Amino acid sequence: MARPLNRPLSPFMFPVWYRFQITSALSILHRLTGIGLAVGSILLAWWLISVAAGGEWFEATHAFLVSPIGLLLLFLWSVAFFYHLCNGIRHLAWDAGYGFELRSAYRSGYTVLAMTVLLTVLTWLYVLLA
Amino acid sequence: MPKRPISANATALRDETMLRHVRQLGSARDGLREWRLQRLTAIALIPLGLYFAASVLWLAKSDHLTAATWLASPVTALLMMLFVFAGLAHAVVGLRSVLLDYVHTRARLVAAGLVIRAAVVVLAGASLLAILKLFLGH
Repeated sequence: MARPLNRPLSPFMFPVWYRFQITSALSILHRLTGIGLAVGSILLAWWLISVAAGGEWFEATHAFLVSPIGLLLLFLWSVAFFYHLCNGIRHLAWDAGYGFELRSAYRSGYTVLAMTVLLTVLTWLYVLLA
Repeated sequence: MPKRPISANATALRDETMLRHVRQLGSARDGLREWRLQRLTAIALIPLGLYFAASVLWLAKSDHLTAATWLASPVTALLMMLFVFAGLAHAVVGLRSVLLDYVHTRARLVAAGLVIRAAVVVLAGASLLAILKLFLGH
């Protein structure tokens, strides 16, 4: 018969047992950016509604988005998006059984960070110049 | 007949996982459907996301006519719907997996899951209405 086991519940390993590692930091960042993007989907829905509604609704939304706070949110959204995208591909590779060796895990981790910076910079260059 | 060796690859993607036979250790209640949905939507979101990240950021600072015209195109409208739906489905699984790790009371877990799903259904419905209005009104 199954009996309840008194096992420790997460998060019990971090930060008591783990010292800082880039791999675990990236893992936590994946979750944080995921939560951020989920919250950001409210902004996306709001923007879509404002375009559909038009008039004052769109003007107000547009004014907010091009304000310093709006641009900061868009910038953070893009960083979170590209990080989650790149690290998500890393996760898909793991799901397929690739890249589990410590060296590969570190290398792919740094690659994800580099790609995040690259994609963010390229996107904003495109946005600002287009 | 020789017994086939059990490997992770041979069992991980089937409905009948070895976990079902596991007593005591690990959860064997549910989760495979969600696991698959998360990966499926993740793959879909790679091309959809790259296209829309660039488009939406560009549109965010454009005027109303540009945005409305862009969204009225059937291809854009379809891809936008897929992006919103895949993204929100992905978000539900992701947020619930975070909850599963940090909320240890069943009742609270169920309640939080309901709140998330309700919010996502409202967001999906609102986005869909907005996209359809722009598409049909063109």
